[in-house]
Amino acid sequence: MEYFLQQLINSLTLGSIYGLIAIGYTMVYGIIGMINFAHGDVFMIGSFVSLIAMVLLGVGTGIFLPFALLVVLIAAILITSVYGWTLERVAYRPLRGSFRLAALITALGASIFLQNFVQVTQGAKIKPIQPVIQGGFTFFENGALVVSLSYLQIFIIIITIVLLSIFSYLISKTPLGRSQRACEQDLTMARLLGINVDRTISTTFIIGAALASVAGMMFVLYYGVIDFFIGFLTGIKAFTAAVLGGIGSIPGAVIGGLLIGLIETFWSAYFTIEYKDVAVFGILVIVLIFRPYGILGKPEVEKV
Amino acid sequence: MNNILEINHLTMRFGGLLAIDDVSFSVEENTITSLIGPNGAGKTTVFNCITGFYKPTVGEILLKTNKNFNLERMNDFTIPQKAKVARTFQNIRLFPQMTVLENLIVAQHNKLMDASMYTLKGLVNAKSFVNAENEAKELAKYWLDKINLIDRADIEAGNLPYGQQRKVEICRSMCTEPKLLCLDEPAAGLNANESLELNELLKFIKKEHKISILLIEHDMSVVMGISDKVVVLDYGKKIAEGDPNTVKSNPEVIKAYLGEE
Amino acid sequence: MQDKKNISIILKDLLFTGLIATILLIPIVGLRTEISTADSTGLIFDYNFLIAFIVIAFVIGVRFLFHIYWFSKIKKTQKEKSEKDKKLFLKKLNLYLGIIAGFVAFTLPFMPFANRYVVDVATLVLTYVMLGWGLNIVVGLAGLLDLGYVAFFAVGAYSYALLSTSFDLSFWICLPLAGILSAFAGILLGFPVLRLRGDYLAIVTLGFGEIIRLILLNWYEFTNGPDGISRIPRPSFFGFPFERKSDVTTFHELFGLEYSTMHRIIFLYYLILILALLTNFFTIKIRNLPVGRAWEALREDETACRAIGINPTNTKLTAFAIGAMFGGFAGSFFATRQGFVSPESFTFIESAIILAIVVLGGMGSQIGVVVASIVLIGSTELFRELEQFRMLAFGLAMIVIMIMKPRGLLSNREPSILMHTKKNE
Repeated sequence: MEYFLQQLINSLTLGSIYGLIAIGYTMVYGIIGMINFAHGDVFMIGSFVSLIAMVLLGVGTGIFLPFALLVVLIAAILITSVYGWTLERVAYRPLRGSFRLAALITALGASIFLQNFVQVTQGAKIKPIQPVIQGGFTFFENGALVVSLSYLQIFIIIITIVLLSIFSYLISKTPLGRSQRACEQDLTMARLLGINVDRTISTTFIIGAALASVAGMMFVLYYGVIDFFIGFLTGIKAFTAAVLGGIGSIPGAVIGGLLIGLIETFWSAYFTIEYKDVAVFGILVIVLIFRPYGILGKPEVEKV
Repeated sequence: MNNILEINHLTMRFGGLLAIDDVSFSVEENTITSLIGPNGAGKTTVFNCITGFYKPTVGEILLKTNKNFNLERMNDFTIPQKAKVARTFQNIRLFPQMTVLENLIVAQHNKLMDASMYTLKGLVNAKSFVNAENEAKELAKYWLDKINLIDRADIEAGNLPYGQQRKVEICRSMCTEPKLLCLDEPAAGLNANESLELNELLKFIKKEHKISILLIEHDMSVVMGISDKVVVLDYGKKIAEGDPNTVKSNPEVIKAYLGEE
Repeated sequence: MQDKKNISIILKDLLFTGLIATILLIPIVGLRTEISTADSTGLIFDYNFLIAFIVIAFVIGVRFLFHIYWFSKIKKTQKEKSEKDKKLFLKKLNLYLGIIAGFVAFTLPFMPFANRYVVDVATLVLTYVMLGWGLNIVVGLAGLLDLGYVAFFAVGAYSYALLSTSFDLSFWICLPLAGILSAFAGILLGFPVLRLRGDYLAIVTLGFGEIIRLILLNWYEFTNGPDGISRIPRPSFFGFPFERKSDVTTFHELFGLEYSTMHRIIFLYYLILILALLTNFFTIKIRNLPVGRAWEALREDETACRAIGINPTNTKLTAFAIGAMFGGFAGSFFATRQGFVSPESFTFIESAIILAIVVLGGMGSQIGVVVASIVLIGSTELFRELEQFRMLAFGLAMIVIMIMKPRGLLSNREPSILMHTKKNE
C-alpha cells in the first residue's frame, strides 16, 4: 500500500513534467498542423539554461533559495522562449504551405542541430548537480517502506498548477487566446479577418517553449543530472502524452501527461524497468492505431 | 425502361445533424439524371453514400447491372472496381504531377494488374502484358481524342487550365469502363462555351457508350439542356422528381430556389 | 533618400539579429559547464565568451549576406530561366551524373589511389545508397513517411547473423531468407498503421523502429543483448573462401594470386554495388508497371485513387514490404561485412540519415540519392576529427536545403509512359 502511494506521488511529479512539454506539441499541431519534432530539444535547452543559471548563481550554496530559483525560472523562460521563437522563424516559417515531408525534414534537422549544438558547446558528458531542494514530509513509516512527499515534488506540482491556470486564462479569456483558436480553425479566414497570423503562430511557439523550459528546470531539480540527449526520449514520451490525450486539445495534453507519468512509473515499479520505454512507445503505437484522436479528441470525418 | 440505380429510404445522420432525410429516387438505364438543390441540400452527401465514401445511417442503394449490388455495404474502392460506378469530385482531383496520359493509364490499374498477374508478367515483359498495356494506351488515346487533348497528353495534369482538367477528370473516370458515371458539379467554373462542350461530351457518352449518368449541378443550362430526369433536394429531403420541364414549373422547387441562368 | 532608408532598415535588422544571437549563444556557448576537478560532483564554468562573440559576428555576417542577396535580386532584372529550361537542365544533369557515377563506381577499386581505406569508405557509401534507394520506394514513390526504416535494416542484419551462426548456411541462402523475413516484418508493421496519414505515420514508424531496437537490446536470450552477435561468417567467392589457407581451394589459389586482404574487400565492394544496382533497376522497372504507377498516384491523391478502384491498403503494404525487403538485403550485407552486429548500429539517427539522403538528394532522382550519400557519408570520413561538427553541419544542411529547395537538390520526375515518343513524332 505504501509502495503504491509512493508510486502515485512520483507519477504525479513525472506527469507534470510530461504535461508541460506535451502542451507545446499539442498547441503547435493545433495551429499549423505540424509535429514540432524539435520541441523535445527545446525542453533540453531549457534544462541546460536552468542548470547554467543555477551554477552561475551558486544555487544551493548560501544564496537565498526561493529568490535564486525565481531568477533561474525567469531566465530559463526568457532565454528558451527566444530559442522557440528563433526555431519557428528560421526553420518553419519559410516552409509554411510547403509539403509535409519538407516540414518534417526541417524539423528533424532542427532537432539534430540543437542536440549537437549543445553537445559541441557543453560537452557530451552528463552534467550532475547537487540536490537543491531537500527534505519533505513523510507519512506511513512502516519499517523500510516509507511514503514521502518531498518539498521538491510539492514545488513541481504547485508550479505546474499555477502555470496551467495562468495559461488556461490566457487561452480562453484574452484576445491572444481567441486569435489562436481562430487560427486553429481556419488559418486563411483568420488572416482575412485581420488577425496577425504570423504573430499568433510565433506566440504559440514562445508559450510552448516557455512551458517546456519550466519542465526543463523541474527535470534538473528532480533528477539532478542532464545531458544533451534527454530531449529525444522525454520529447517522444511527451508527444505520446499529447496524442493519448487528444492532439490539439490542451486539457488532453495535461491528462495525457499525467497518464504517461502513471504508466511509466507503475510499469517500472511493478514490472521491469528495462522495458519501461518500450511500454511508452507501445502506448504510442496502440493509441495511433486504434484511437488516433486520443481520449479527448473527436474522430475526423474526411470531407470528400 | 429499367432502373440502373435505385435509392430507397436513404438517411444520413452525422451525430445530431440530419443531412439526408428518407430520400428515394431512381436513375434509369442509359439516361442522364440531374440532382439539384440549394447549397447544403445534401447532394454531395448522397453522392458520397452512393460511391461508398460514407456509410448511410439507413437505407438501400441498389445498383442493377449484370448483377445486383448493394452499394451501401461496399467500400469506396470496391465500388468502382466491382460495381463499375465511377465518380468525379467537386474540387478536381487529378494526379497533378503525373501526365495526362499517366492519369488515364493509372485509372485502368485493376485491368492491368490482372493482365500482369500482379506484376509478375510485367517484370518479364510478357507479351500478353505488353498487349494489355498497348490496349490501355489506345483507350486513353480514344478519350483524349474525344476531348481534343491528344497533343497535351504528356503534359503534367496540374499544369492544364481548369476547364481542360475537368474534361480530363471525366475521361479518367471513363477509362475505368463504368456502367454508371457520377459527376459532382462538372460544369463548375466553366464558361458558356465550355459548358456547351461538356453537354456534347455527356450526350456522346450516353448515346454512343450506353452509359447512365447521374450528375449534381447548379448550372441550369447544363441541367435543362441534357437531363432526361431531374431530382430536387432541399434540406435533405426530396421535393421533386420528374422531367426537366415539369420540375422547372413545380411551385415547391421554385419556392426552394429559383434556378439561375 | 531611398538608399538611406534601406540602410537604416538593414542596420536595424542586423542589430536585431545580433541581439537574438546574443541571447541564444551567450549562455550555452559562453558558459560551458564542466565537472570541477577539485570537487568531483560540482560544476564549474569554462568561459568561452570569445568563441561566442565570434559566432555572433558570424551570424550577423550571414544575415548581412542575405540582405545583399535580396538587394541584388531586386536590382538586377535577371532573366528567369523558364520552367521548361530548368526541367531540361535537371534532366540532363541527372543523366550525366548518372553516367559519371556509374563509370566511377565500376572502376573504383582499380584506380591508383584506391587503397583499403578508400574502398572501405566507398563500400559504406554504397550501403547507404542502397538503403536510400530502398527507402525511396516507400517515401519517394509511394509517399509514405517512414521514420523507422532502420528497423528493417536491423531485422535483415540480425536474421542473417542468427541464420548463419546457428545453421551454418551460406551467404547466398541467408541473403534471400533475410530479405523475406524483413518483408514479412514490413507487412506485420505496415498492416496496422498504413491507414494513418502523414505525420502520424511518421511517428508510429519511429515508435516501431525504437521498439525493435529496444527489444534487440534487452532480449538477451535471443539476440545477446548489447553484446551483439559476433563471429558471423564472412562471404566466400561462390565457395572459394578468402583465406590464406583452407581445407578447400581458396580464392587466391584459384586465380593464382598472392594472398591479399584486399581480395575480400574488393569482393564486398562489388557485392554491395550489385545489390544496390539491383534495387535501382527494380525501382526503374516498377515505375513502368501498374503497381508502381499506383504508388505514385497514391502519393498524389489517395481519395482519387479510391475513386478509380485502387485498394490503398494493399498498394501501400506492397510498397512497405518491398522497401523492407531491400532494407533487409542491405542488412545482410552489413552483417557479413562487419562479422558482428549489435543494437547500437540501429538507432533512430540512422533512419533520419537515410531519410535525409532520400529527401535532400531530391524526390524522384535516383542519382540524387547517390550524391547525397557521397556528400553526407563521405564527408564524415574526411572530417573524422571533427565528428561532432559533422552532425551539427548535417542538421543545419537539412534545414538550409529544405528551405532553399523543398523538393531536394536534384529532384526530377520522368513520366513513366509517353504518348509521343521521339520515334513516332
